Amino acid sequence: MSSRKQVKGEYIETDTGNKVSRKANLIGTQHIMLGGKTVIMADAMGSSGAAPQSNTSIFIGRYCFLSRGCCLRPPGRIYKGAFTYMPLRIGDHVFVGENSVVQAATVGSHVHIAANAVVGEFAIVKDYVRILEGTVVPANMVIPSFSVVAGQPGRVIGEVPEGGHEQFEMREMYKTVGNNVPPPAAPAAQAV
Amino acid sequence: MSSSNKRHSMMPRAGQLPKAPVNLSSSVVIHDNAVLTGNHTINISSETVIHPRNKLDSSHGRVTIGRRCIIHERVVIGAPSSDPTKGEFGVTLEDYVTVEVAAVIESGCTTIGEGCLIGVGARIGRGAKLGKFCQHCTITARSVIQPGEQLPDYTVLYSNGTRRTDRRGVTELKNKAQARQIDVMRRLIPTNINRFKE
Repeated sequence: MSSRKQVKGEYIETDTGNKVSRKANLIGTQHIMLGGKTVIMADAMGSSGAAPQSNTSIFIGRYCFLSRGCCLRPPGRIYKGAFTYMPLRIGDHVFVGENSVVQAATVGSHVHIAANAVVGEFAIVKDYVRILEGTVVPANMVIPSFSVVAGQPGRVIGEVPEGGHEQFEMREMYKTVGNNVPPPAAPAAQAV
Repeated sequence: MSSSNKRHSMMPRAGQLPKAPVNLSSSVVIHDNAVLTGNHTINISSETVIHPRNKLDSSHGRVTIGRRCIIHERVVIGAPSSDPTKGEFGVTLEDYVTVEVAAVIESGCTTIGEGCLIGVGARIGRGAKLGKFCQHCTITARSVIQPGEQLPDYTVLYSNGTRRTDRRGVTELKNKAQARQIDVMRRLIPTNINRFKE
């Protein structure tokens, strides 16, 4: 991933704890709302072609993690005779892997979207869902809570095991990114 | 505002790549962040919309884009292919083509017919031809079309290689919807065509 040698101030840290890489491509920032403690890494892209009448088109909750090269965009469709973009809502503790594209209507809380996945337009992803690598979630699919989804097109292939929901917690990951964090290798070395 | 200015300076500058000779219709919408590069001509016909962070590369051949196409973010049109021999032209997109986020279209006599939909992250190989008359194919997300492959009209390619024929007969409606979508995007995407023309 990124080199250990941090460029001075690679991230912009806000009062609410968001860490946004300076190399992230946010387009239409006035329409993107971050709930706080969200990490947006370099080359991640949020693009909101918000309709002028709606104020916000991407809502992101707390402790979300947008990896390099991922892309979030609100879904659009013909509604009442005119093409409209609908808001994209993302809950808390959501991980979006590298080069994934999310065009869902709603992504619940504690959702893990692995690298190279595609979440189609107007998909609804409920809480505690794991979307595996390279999955293509078709448009308009509704994924129930605690499912594991994979395939092309995406199908529910299993369930999150009991107690497995703790892995969705993003607080630790949040601490590993930022302008002045201890190198991640240090705690592992102590353990050995 | 100062922070946004700073971040802007970190972005790859458009000036780093040679500007391509372009032939743009006045009703084209191109976001300032798109890159048009190469040494062959890039033709873009009327009412086409090009989203930010696109790369149109004509260094391996001419790129032609038809009327009312929508090219979404991070698309690469005219990507170099493994076969270095030059074709007669690079890439041709006919009218009403939609290319979704992060798709890659290789250069070298690649033709995308009217009304085709290229899904998210799909890859179209060099010299591929979609449709006998090149029309209304749908390539779903993350599909790969091999170089030189030809698809008949109305083919839907999904699930990594499975094919079926689209018999819904909604092409007229689709084209109408595309026109509406373009109407909205024209208002949303800030554009300054003269920037690309020099």
